[in-house]
Amino acid sequence: MTVLASVSLATFLVTGLAATQFRSQPLPPSNRLARDEALRQSVNQLEDQNRTLKARVQGLQAQVKAGEDESANRSSAAQQVKAQLDDQKVIAGLTPLHGPGLTVLLHDGTDPNDPADHSLGWTIHYQDLQDIVNVLWASGAEAIAVNGQRVVPNTAFHYAGVNILVNNASRLSGPYTVTALGSPSSLASGLGNPDVLAELKSRSRIYGLGFSWVRGTRLSLPAYDATFLVKYAQPLS
Amino acid sequence: MRSRSAEQTARAQRLIIVSLVAVALGFLLVVQLRSQAAVARTLATQDDTSVALLINDLNRANNQLIQQSTALSQQEAELRQALAAGGGDAQAIQKELTRLREVTGEVPVHGPGLEIRIQGTIMDFELQDALNSLRNAGAEAMALNGYRIISSTPVQSRGNTLLIDGHAVRTPLSLLVIGDPEQLGPAADLSASSLQTRVQVEIQRQTELAITEVVTPHPLIYAQLGK
Repeated sequence: MTVLASVSLATFLVTGLAATQFRSQPLPPSNRLARDEALRQSVNQLEDQNRTLKARVQGLQAQVKAGEDESANRSSAAQQVKAQLDDQKVIAGLTPLHGPGLTVLLHDGTDPNDPADHSLGWTIHYQDLQDIVNVLWASGAEAIAVNGQRVVPNTAFHYAGVNILVNNASRLSGPYTVTALGSPSSLASGLGNPDVLAELKSRSRIYGLGFSWVRGTRLSLPAYDATFLVKYAQPLS
Repeated sequence: MRSRSAEQTARAQRLIIVSLVAVALGFLLVVQLRSQAAVARTLATQDDTSVALLINDLNRANNQLIQQSTALSQQEAELRQALAAGGGDAQAIQKELTRLREVTGEVPVHGPGLEIRIQGTIMDFELQDALNSLRNAGAEAMALNGYRIISSTPVQSRGNTLLIDGHAVRTPLSLLVIGDPEQLGPAADLSASSLQTRVQVEIQRQTELAITEVVTPHPLIYAQLGK
């Protein structure tokens, strides 16, 4: 009798808990979770769409280039302008590049879990990436990419909540790599200058936040993965 | 009356069952707690507001990409039309060249936008933040006190002196920004609100601004074409 009762109780408890577990998975226990899940699904859909659209833009860029090449073959006037256009695409970041340079490596440090410390100094912020990129330009960088996203003339880093976005809402997540082409020693001495990035360097010491760089003899940078629209600025004749 | 051995067997069975139940309960409890922790972690890094802001940015970027596709399709159609008529279209290529030169800051431009006047000393990172925020709001051309600025233009502080590509600029600062004033306005207001505690900022919407300064691109010495 005792054994039977134990078995029954055990079965009841296990089944009950299992049922709770199964119910809690497809149906989140509150509307808040359901809403959050729906929002995350929207992000996934929009990011899929973003990738598809970028692929379409790149496909169209290739078709336009084929048309330009054909035009250049047919007319000497077109050929002349086409040569200038090819140079301009390099300046604008529309072509992949390689060469010597330096790679900056960044990662979040440790949360001190200190109620008195509200600084969030242990995480990498978009301003850190912006500041590093600025120092690299000032140190003679010829081209830069952040996590494989080429920095082009209109590139902006910003926050969408906790997300760091760059170039057409490309979401950057740590660890972060900033790759710059140029003289490795000039770039390294620029970053090493104690007067620059002082705040980031001190956070690196306090929170164990990763901030280091390695020189490279052959680094590759991708082309910008979209194109430029100019709607308001008109050339002054 | 049950024998001593039968009683021992019953006790052993009970122990086994209790142990099994404990193990089962413990397992389920652990699974339950771990799955909750995983959800909590996701929520902690991606709160509703963050996700909503991300959705807003993705929608905006995707609309931009659709517009880019339309512009490229049109560009291709123009090229194909000229080719079908038997010639190469130098004009269509010239148009693209000019557009890229506007983007890289190599041609003087005009258009609507904002004039932001700053009276007082600001630091390099404050100007960087403002430029970055304006670029994010669709700024197409910018110049500060006679120096054209693109994303690769270094902004530095030497003491209280602000340097744009190595050139000192002094207060009052006049930042000209060409782009959609409706988009640029809120970005400028936000930058101004963080600066206004120390310096005087005045923002004026303009229907027509001219930026005559240009950027001279640096020749590539280290970087070479191709992956």
